Amino acid sequence: MRGRALIAAAALACMTPVAAEAHHSFAVYFDSTKDVSITGKVTSFRFTNPHGTVVLDVTDAHGKVSEWRAETNAPAVLQRRGWTRDSIKVGETITIEGWPSRDGKPYMRLRRAVHQDGSLVGTAPFGQADQS
Amino acid sequence: MRMAILGAALLALSAPAFAEPDLTGFWNLSFEAGDPPADLVAKLPPDTVIIADTGVVEFPEGEYGGLKLKPEALAKAKAWKPADEMTLSRVCLAPSIVYAIQGPFPFEVFQTPELIVFKYEYFDQVRLVHMDGRSHPRADAPHSKMGHSIGHWEGDELVVDTTHIAASTITNNGLDHSADIHMVERYRLSPDGKRLMATQWFEDPAVLDNNGARFIQWAKQAGQYVFPYECDPAFALEYQEAGKAGQ
Repeated sequence: MRGRALIAAAALACMTPVAAEAHHSFAVYFDSTKDVSITGKVTSFRFTNPHGTVVLDVTDAHGKVSEWRAETNAPAVLQRRGWTRDSIKVGETITIEGWPSRDGKPYMRLRRAVHQDGSLVGTAPFGQADQS
Repeated sequence: MRMAILGAALLALSAPAFAEPDLTGFWNLSFEAGDPPADLVAKLPPDTVIIADTGVVEFPEGEYGGLKLKPEALAKAKAWKPADEMTLSRVCLAPSIVYAIQGPFPFEVFQTPELIVFKYEYFDQVRLVHMDGRSHPRADAPHSKMGHSIGHWEGDELVVDTTHIAASTITNNGLDHSADIHMVERYRLSPDGKRLMATQWFEDPAVLDNNGARFIQWAKQAGQYVFPYECDPAFALEYQEAGKAGQ
């Protein structure tokens, strides 16, 4: 089920415009042809323009912990999608799907974030034609 | 008869002070802009390429959408590195209106016969379009990211002429315009007043061998307003920290 969900998310990403905005260009920094999904424990959530950021500790199958960062759309945009500065809490475990950084760093652009109970953060994912 | 004349006079007094289209309202990008109307394209000056980087679409490195760069501008664009922008000193530098107008952020319009105000959500920018017949200031007057705009109506179209724009990016990928760029926008409301469309034309002979233009369309949304942006440069530190943990 999870695999199918990821494939569906990847297909959606291919079908829809990329979520460009704010100061730096999405097309320059992120690879819209690739998809990445991470699950981890939140260590920081910054809700300021030009982009919000979520920092996660991600533990792999061998128990090794690595730090990932996901940048969001501008909070000005997020607020119209039901996000607040309390939407994500430090210490909670969440899953983030999005597009990976072109430079190979553990850095990504968030398309959607899901709480551990399966509920979506905000009211709708990004990268769709009804953005903002 | 006397009553009819009185009625007509009252009707005239209650009519708006100007008959031009009313652009007032909150406008958000229409993500299905489609092709520009042929008559708007026909009004663009010769040797103009319409670049397709409007709204959610932006160009990757090395793509300029048909703009012909002067050798010096091309060399500068090729030398540009994305990471250079992700610093405390640069990440919150607002772009000029040349690039800011193309993105997916909304704006509000406030309109009077003498002045039209565009309040953009992107970087909290505010722009005055003078409709009182004044001219641009002299060439060496101070420049700004919003520039100096004068407007007039041509039928149902608002034509805005802008100069004195401080040097900034055109396509957000290393191509910068000079402080001598000249921009002309032509705005038109849809017949039902729910959509606003515009061509944004620009010439910058110091940087480009041809002229550029964009076609942009917005949808009116009732009951909304522009949110504060208040850019926080600490975002650059977040980007710089990526990949450093555990090193």
